[in-house]
Amino acid sequence: MDRAERDVFERGLRHAVEAHTGAALDAALLELGWPDALAQDTREAVSVLFALQGSSHTTSSALDRVLACAIGLDVPPSSGFVLPPLGRWDPPGELDRDRLVVRGLGTSSLPAGATAVVVARAVNTEVAFCVPAGELTLRPVHGMDPELGLVEVHGTVPKHALAPEVVSPSWSASVALAQLAVGYELVGAARTMLELARQHALARVQFGQPIARFQAVRHRLAETLVGIEAAEGVLDAAWEDRSPVAAAVAKALAGRGARAASRHCQQVLAGIGFTTEHEFHRYARRVVVLDELFGASRALTRELGADVLAARRLPAFAPL
Amino acid sequence: MELDEFRRSLDDWLDQNEHLLRPEHAAETLDEQMAQLAVVKRLTYDAGFMRWGWPERVGGLGGSSLLRAYLGEALTFRGLVEPGIYSMTEVLAPTMIDYAAPELAATMVPRLLRGDETWCQGFSEPGTGSNLASLSCRATRTDDGWRVSGQKVWTSLAQYAQRCVLLTRTGAPDSAHRGITALFVDMDSAGVQVRPIETMHGAPEFSEVFFDDVAVPFDRTLGAEGQGWSVAMDLLPHERSTALWHRAAYLQRRLEGLLRAAPAGALEPADVGQVAQLLFALRARSRATQRRLAAGERLGPETSVDKVLVAAAEQAVFDLVADGLSTSVATGDDPDDARWRREYLYSRAATIYGGTAEIQRNIIARRLLDLGTDR
Repeated sequence: MDRAERDVFERGLRHAVEAHTGAALDAALLELGWPDALAQDTREAVSVLFALQGSSHTTSSALDRVLACAIGLDVPPSSGFVLPPLGRWDPPGELDRDRLVVRGLGTSSLPAGATAVVVARAVNTEVAFCVPAGELTLRPVHGMDPELGLVEVHGTVPKHALAPEVVSPSWSASVALAQLAVGYELVGAARTMLELARQHALARVQFGQPIARFQAVRHRLAETLVGIEAAEGVLDAAWEDRSPVAAAVAKALAGRGARAASRHCQQVLAGIGFTTEHEFHRYARRVVVLDELFGASRALTRELGADVLAARRLPAFAPL
Repeated sequence: MELDEFRRSLDDWLDQNEHLLRPEHAAETLDEQMAQLAVVKRLTYDAGFMRWGWPERVGGLGGSSLLRAYLGEALTFRGLVEPGIYSMTEVLAPTMIDYAAPELAATMVPRLLRGDETWCQGFSEPGTGSNLASLSCRATRTDDGWRVSGQKVWTSLAQYAQRCVLLTRTGAPDSAHRGITALFVDMDSAGVQVRPIETMHGAPEFSEVFFDDVAVPFDRTLGAEGQGWSVAMDLLPHERSTALWHRAAYLQRRLEGLLRAAPAGALEPADVGQVAQLLFALRARSRATQRRLAAGERLGPETSVDKVLVAAAEQAVFDLVADGLSTSVATGDDPDDARWRREYLYSRAATIYGGTAEIQRNIIARRLLDLGTDR
């Protein structure tokens, strides 16, 4: 996409994401040709949509399509994709002799779909199955962020009930793409929290002046922006790098940056930010759950540290 | 010259000339580091590499500023130069190119690039730290030039320097940023006195500089009279661009040195991971800045984010050193121990020099977040 095409694309998406959520947003994305854009220009499609979804606190099943795209599966748009359980990034399925054991999460498209794609670990490889939705038990997740519309999935499916195995997909590439998508969503949410706190700091008057004049407030908000920019820088660089490690670092920084944004902005918003009369709490809830999706910042950081310690060097990253 | 071609030929040349470029004994003292810097600059200049990325009118060979960024990265990552003293060129040469009279720039910049000369930057004063616009070192106009009297402090490498980019007060004492003029001063002028300051990390890296009625010709004015604030504001982003890219390479080298040197079990994976991520973030951010610079974009307050990131990364790397090599840092006395300790101590200044962490956050709050003034 060139600059002008990107602007048009972004405007269309912005309109859709701000007006719709859930199934209505899925329909709007289909109409806008987002799934085609995903195939043709994955970077633009993922970075723009997920940042908007994060900043406007809406949901869709776009993550399912991202995973299907990364794996190279041509599945009907109505099928859902089973995500790893919260906090994990290994495949949600496991092959146990003649059974497929499934434990994971799904977006809102899973309950509606006829089939669910499950990637399972097999010996030295991973395989994907199209599982009839009826074989799986779904539980709507309420938890911290009911509006996110996640479902918990589990089931034990006899192999004979399964559609044929699909070619061996690259799970690590799928995880990397999903981590980037969720990373952009976290950054989008963090930017909105920062903007909410910024507006409050400028409007709220104490001691005869806007609290934005106080350095304690200014520095919290500046620190928030640094965390957001750090994460976004690595997210953007990860598209060029195309390595799983870059995507994991980007996701970890996005999670940490968003949690820091939540902490700083809540403090600046003070009393009003603690109420449900202000929309801040919805974002604060969301980033807690998104940080856990496809690996929480803490776990990803520890894993990177263990790898770096073993290799005694940093992975190559961001050459000029 | 394209970056890939430059990278290949530079890497080959560095491999082949390692024996000429690397000193027999690792440079430990600042004197040794300065001597080593001069050797490396001379060799890379004569081989052409140091000239790429600089305009032809100042002795350069043209080409993208990315070439300079890569040269400094390669020299730093191989441990051939200390990044701080190497990168002074990146800060001062652009100022000369943008603001000096063309003949002056054409004469002087090659001397800096070739390592024939060292330059320093006279900004801070005893009463003027974070509040740069309050500086008071005075330049008075006379019939045959400026007369400068006053004092500077924290002037890096002043005791080695042949020239100084000096900010002076030419307007009324309370003229703030409007009454500042930048001058290019010969350090061997009568009336200039330099007193190096001993620092916590054991290298007299900066000095007090005293000016007692020092004569400076008018043709050494950088920009117009009263334009000194613009000179300074254009210089500061250079402190936060290519120089930081070089510093990121240095931090990566030292982190990897730590990983090799630390006893098994001395480092926590979570801590190592967090420091590695900070270096990823610094590299990604700084690369984007290098690309903007190369594309001719004007750098501005957004480089304060780069500066906050480099300071955080530097202190995090050396906090990890203090954890993983605690004996070396605390009680070790061999040269490697001394080096780790020196670098650990120097890292404490990363949130102080070149605009404190607080000043960077003030800039971010005011200019990037549009939070208005704080007064």
